[in-house]
Amino acid sequence: MQRILAIAGLTWKAALRFKVFIVIALLLVLAVVGLPLIVKDDGTAQGFTQIILTYTLSATACLLGFSTLWLSCGTLARDIEECQIQVVATKPIARWQIWLGKWLGIVSLNAVLLCLAGACIYGLLQWRATKLPVAEQKILREQVLVARGTAKEPSQMAEIAAAADQVYQARLGQNPQMHELSNAEKQIVRNQILQQAMADFQLVPPGYTRTWQINLGSEKKYLQDKGMQLRIKFETADQNNSGHYLGMWQLGDPNGTNFIQMPTPSLAPDTFHEIDVPPNLLDTNGVLTIVFLNENATPLLFPLDDGMQVLFPESGFVLNFARGLAVILFWLALLSALGLAAASFLSFPVATFFSLAMLVVVFSSGSIAETVESGSIAVGNEDTGKAGHSSADVVMIPALKGILFVVQFTNSISPIDLLSSGRAISWADLGIAFAHIVLLMGGIFIICGILLFQRRELATAQGNQ
Amino acid sequence: MPVAELNPQSPAGVPKSAEAIITVRGLTKVFRDFWNRPKARAVDNIDFEVRRGEVFGLLGPNGSGKSTTVKLLLGLLNPTRGHIEVFGHSPRHVQTKARIGYLPEESYLYRYLNSRETLDFFGNLFQLSKGERENRAAQLLEMVGLGKTQMRPVGEFSKGMQRRIGLAQALINDPDLVILDEPTAGLDPIGCREVKDLILALARRGKTVILSSHLLSDVEDVCDRVVILFGGKIRAAGSLKELLAKPDTLRITTPVLPRPTLERVLEIIRRDITHGEVRVDNPTQNLESYFLEVVAKAREAAHETSGAQSGANVAAYLRKGIEEAPAADKILEKLSLPQTQPKTEPKTAPAHEAKLDEKKLEALAQPAAAQSVQKPEPAPQAKPEDLTKADEKLSSLLGGKK
Repeated sequence: MQRILAIAGLTWKAALRFKVFIVIALLLVLAVVGLPLIVKDDGTAQGFTQIILTYTLSATACLLGFSTLWLSCGTLARDIEECQIQVVATKPIARWQIWLGKWLGIVSLNAVLLCLAGACIYGLLQWRATKLPVAEQKILREQVLVARGTAKEPSQMAEIAAAADQVYQARLGQNPQMHELSNAEKQIVRNQILQQAMADFQLVPPGYTRTWQINLGSEKKYLQDKGMQLRIKFETADQNNSGHYLGMWQLGDPNGTNFIQMPTPSLAPDTFHEIDVPPNLLDTNGVLTIVFLNENATPLLFPLDDGMQVLFPESGFVLNFARGLAVILFWLALLSALGLAAASFLSFPVATFFSLAMLVVVFSSGSIAETVESGSIAVGNEDTGKAGHSSADVVMIPALKGILFVVQFTNSISPIDLLSSGRAISWADLGIAFAHIVLLMGGIFIICGILLFQRRELATAQGNQ
Repeated sequence: MPVAELNPQSPAGVPKSAEAIITVRGLTKVFRDFWNRPKARAVDNIDFEVRRGEVFGLLGPNGSGKSTTVKLLLGLLNPTRGHIEVFGHSPRHVQTKARIGYLPEESYLYRYLNSRETLDFFGNLFQLSKGERENRAAQLLEMVGLGKTQMRPVGEFSKGMQRRIGLAQALINDPDLVILDEPTAGLDPIGCREVKDLILALARRGKTVILSSHLLSDVEDVCDRVVILFGGKIRAAGSLKELLAKPDTLRITTPVLPRPTLERVLEIIRRDITHGEVRVDNPTQNLESYFLEVVAKAREAAHETSGAQSGANVAAYLRKGIEEAPAADKILEKLSLPQTQPKTEPKTAPAHEAKLDEKKLEALAQPAAAQSVQKPEPAPQAKPEDLTKADEKLSSLLGGKK
């Protein structure tokens, strides 16, 4: 361990002596303190949160992300190019220890910088909150500066997919012409059937109701006399003139007397809204029943994954904030593993380019998802509805599916989004994030990086690489 | 081929019982280009052994494969073919490296660390305790003459100072095997002499030293045995004595003789020499010894310098067990003392040789001081007792035996 710590300490000294630490710290101060001072909020709790938490945390994560990539590529690649590694590697230290020491050095450096930035953000948040109107302060304290657990209906996607598959097979049997379709076209048909099946669960036609039953049994005692919020989002196919929609809500046990009915103010589609739920509306089993009556002339669609959620108080903000920062640190640890792995077999500029290219792939996950859904990398004809086709699809589509799986796997928890909406990042979430991001994905990069570094020749006959 | 092109299985000058700590068999290194096509055959099927306690020289011109061989021995390069064993293990064996000290051909050190931090960092890699690291760092910095520049970043050092700190890091672990690649490159003559003295001191303690150099004087001054590389192949190998000896020639060295005595001696010799040449000349010291003599006198009025100072005291832990001598006892003092013989015999420059004639004989019979050659200001004459004491001190400092 002494050897690994020596290498980690060396990484720290390099960052401090080359003033990297100071430059990053200054940029962080600028992002954390300067940005909220320059960009004024609109005086609402939401606007305030958007600027103080979302913008500053995003800027911090972005800044640290790029500096981590640069530092991790540089610290190893430059040691090799400038030959210092020749002196280090001839000492009794295994190459994996050198690699791991550098990784630990970068991660610990990031941890310190993130703590400093987090402390600044938290202080600024508390100080600026006192300047808000009293009503907005109340909203802020109840809906943002808290850690609220999230409950929703269990996923029904498996049942829906099975039902859609049954329908698809039945249609294949009934209509022999379908066999003449290409694979891409068959995929489109199957997707359409699936969307239809999902619509049965998501769509609320005009004048109809939709019921959700959300089980909060494990929290029932804790939630006694405590208010909650509904977090809803809906979509529409047709926009009305106002762009806002009305509805009637019934919350509580519909078979008993413990329920309330309330109209909602007109709400805009495609965005999240929060509706207060009065205390003590759970039934004896701890289930909250929610019924929505669509009073509009157009159907409303509540997405299965995030259309209806119940937010309930779970823990304090400070710990939640710390857990959120920890998830960001996990991402930085993954980035440093990526940078070091690239530098294990590439020169500094090429390793940096390679790492940035990987980041671009991650940021392009939306486009990748669309391509995977369409089943081809070629563009289809929208006029004829004919699907695109490319001979490279055989290779590219599975590859893109793999990339998409990896990106979604590591990006399952979005700490900035959760913190800015006052939702809790539980210890379980934190553990899952650590397992996914650091242990699994980071572990793959760490193992690959160490193996490549282990095999690499660290010298040439002429000295400099 | 020289006579001393020896079978490496039984290296000359080394007892056959001595343990081989490095064994190289059929070692070949071919560098390849991006397309994996052979680009250069840097080392070509070489065999040699290095035995415990010897100073082993890798000699050859630039590009002959010396540095590649060293890097193969250290596991920094992977051999294309062949077998290397260092202390009975692969060169990549981590624990074996705890017994090795390495000075690369350039001082590849972290330029943002100062010299003390540099030694502390490398000490940590050897898992030395904090106290031990501090103790050794202080001794080593004093030894290499950087005691007063401990807080300056290595990046600000001159090349010579960087070589010195490089040498210090190579010795932080008191290694059993020291591999020095061009150790005197960039050093001034005093530094060169100190490095060579250090190598000899290490050898006296039973350490094994591998010296890679193209500087013939370095190798000649300190090595017991050498291999001469050219084009990646071993062209000659053996002990220096065997390689350099001229068995058909003889040299007699005496104090200055009166002319009649000299004539008598020559007369006796001429009686037995029917053909061949008889030469009589004054032995000259080599330029290095002369330079050191001049500098030693200048040092009597030494001033502070921001650069490296003459080191000299071999670090106490490198002398292991021998009582530490007073700081003032410098190796250089011995070197600067008049008429003290260096370990190697003074070289006789061929340019100074002259055929025997009456005029020359007359000149040779005169005391040296009376000759017209410009000499530095004479050093204070040391009495024989002082010289003996100085020798004893030096021997003690270097850990050698009288």
